[in-house]
Amino acid sequence: MKVTRRDFLIRTAALAAGTAVTAPFLIPKYHSDQRLKRSRVAVLHVQQYSQELDRLLAAGLRLFPINVTGKTVVLKPNLVDYIPGEAINTHPLLVLAAAESFRRLGAKSVVVAEGPGHQRDTQLVLSQSGYQQSLRDEKIRFVDLNRDQLIRTPLRASYTGMRDLWLPRTVLEADFLVSMPKIKAHHWSGVTLSMKNMFGVVPGARYGWPKNILHWKGIQESILDLCATVPVRFVIADGIMAMEGNGPLNGTPRTLGKIVIADDPVAADATCARLMGFEPSRIVHIREGARFLGNASPVLIDQVGETVNAPAIPFQVVPEFRHLYEQ
Amino acid sequence: MPTVTTDAIALSNVLAELALRQLPCGGWAALASSSQPAIEPTCYAALALGSKPVGDIERAQDFLLRTQNPNGSWPVVPGDDQEGGWVTSVAVIVLRDLVPAIPARLRGFHWLLDCSGRESNWLWKWKFRTADRHVRFDPDKFGWPWFPDTVSWVVPTAFAILALGQIPCSCGDLERIPLRVDCGIQMLFDRACPGGGWNAGNGVVYECPMAPHVDDTAIALLALSDRGQHPVVQSAVQYLERVAPTLTAPWSLAWSILALAAHRRPIASLHDSLSALSEFLTTEDTGTLALVCLALDYNRALSAFGVTV
Repeated sequence: MKVTRRDFLIRTAALAAGTAVTAPFLIPKYHSDQRLKRSRVAVLHVQQYSQELDRLLAAGLRLFPINVTGKTVVLKPNLVDYIPGEAINTHPLLVLAAAESFRRLGAKSVVVAEGPGHQRDTQLVLSQSGYQQSLRDEKIRFVDLNRDQLIRTPLRASYTGMRDLWLPRTVLEADFLVSMPKIKAHHWSGVTLSMKNMFGVVPGARYGWPKNILHWKGIQESILDLCATVPVRFVIADGIMAMEGNGPLNGTPRTLGKIVIADDPVAADATCARLMGFEPSRIVHIREGARFLGNASPVLIDQVGETVNAPAIPFQVVPEFRHLYEQ
Repeated sequence: MPTVTTDAIALSNVLAELALRQLPCGGWAALASSSQPAIEPTCYAALALGSKPVGDIERAQDFLLRTQNPNGSWPVVPGDDQEGGWVTSVAVIVLRDLVPAIPARLRGFHWLLDCSGRESNWLWKWKFRTADRHVRFDPDKFGWPWFPDTVSWVVPTAFAILALGQIPCSCGDLERIPLRVDCGIQMLFDRACPGGGWNAGNGVVYECPMAPHVDDTAIALLALSDRGQHPVVQSAVQYLERVAPTLTAPWSLAWSILALAAHRRPIASLHDSLSALSEFLTTEDTGTLALVCLALDYNRALSAFGVTV
């Protein structure tokens, strides 16, 4: 077949246009595959917040081959705001139990760090939610991530299109970052678990209260970029008293009676989602995170402790997220 | 106006601690453990030191002048690459009495005038009116964002109103100021929480009335100190009067004292409570330390914010 110069130019242009359109969908948006070959998740049944948490959590952590000897451990609870009677924040007793456990495991230091997303007065949230006195009594240092030293950090994924974020030194220099979310439904993202909990490391001093730029760039996309850039090494999720409905602030407390421990944030969140009665693959950041951040498939998760059973009635969510549980 | 005897010892102790935390560059870091100067704590510290014979106010002012962005705004920290942020309002307030800073302040005012919440654009107005209505607000009433390319929020709007209220003249392009300020004030009224006071700026979300925050309410009330008769303001003052006596967090307590003083409410007992809080001297947060100084010397602080009582 004879190809004229005109045909050649048209075909070349068509090929170039096709490549330009399809390439963004074919090129991975993450820099590296951070998935473990297999992940481990433990679900512990815990009825209430009590001093017993120390013992229960220590026993739970023994199910994992953790080595934190000589390491700087940063515990990142979910500490958003304080509203009396609401199950908004990770319970301080669980955070204290975690700090004590990691100290016993030989950590060089254990720091609790958070940058509340709604309240500018971090000390007010700390005192009202029961953290301040507890941390002081146990001589545990707290770092306000909203005001910590800022370091410009290139993102290791490009879901938002942002090239970098200014992130707090305490988190970037941590040897072992533990995400300690409260298990909640969330009106913008469906759920807020260990991955969404990382919004708290984004400094309010640089991005405002709330951290509005993350909403404009896409919440699911921001979660993925953040988790790719600031790897979560371990998860201890507070689901003893969880939240359903209009979370993260104004939902309804719901007794779940569980603590979820994991060495992989995607596996942890997929498990939490199942415990809430949701299909994990319908949550964008869990589905996409399973491509490079961790494992969501039960086949790749070693389940220890209790078995994961979906509740008879799924967690309530705002109407936009009913697809998380509907057939 | 109530009269309060300033606890001179508490104030001098806090000022001394503040002076100790000043960095060689002239600025202050947000946290005592950090050596990275930041604009917000530097501004509060500079306001707190004022003409006091402690610290080096001139070095602080030089630091602020050095760190201004070419476009007239101020960054959060030196070296920040974004096109400025809300701290621009606080910086121009701090530099008010400094004659060599007049050109810098004018550039700052112009930047503030050109900066507005994203909802001021017709496209986003349309989005918020049609597709995105879970947060109840009127996009026609817009103020200032924390940072460009996001929507308006209460605190940056309140600080911009305070800053633009200090303009000495309406020369050049500055005749737009009254219109912008009025729009910002309407935005504050629109974003109030149904039960009184303000939070970051979401009064009702998913039909659910949201709770107010003390510091956001206090800062908004400072900006609305000449609107005391407005029902939204009165309701916010009542909220603050109700909550402030229960506070033990110095940042919120200090802002409450300033706001209630601006609205001519009794603050003697709050002032005593703040003086009695011993823990603020050990606080990591330098901004809080400076705020405590300002609240303990509230008449001077209100004057610096341009609030006449």
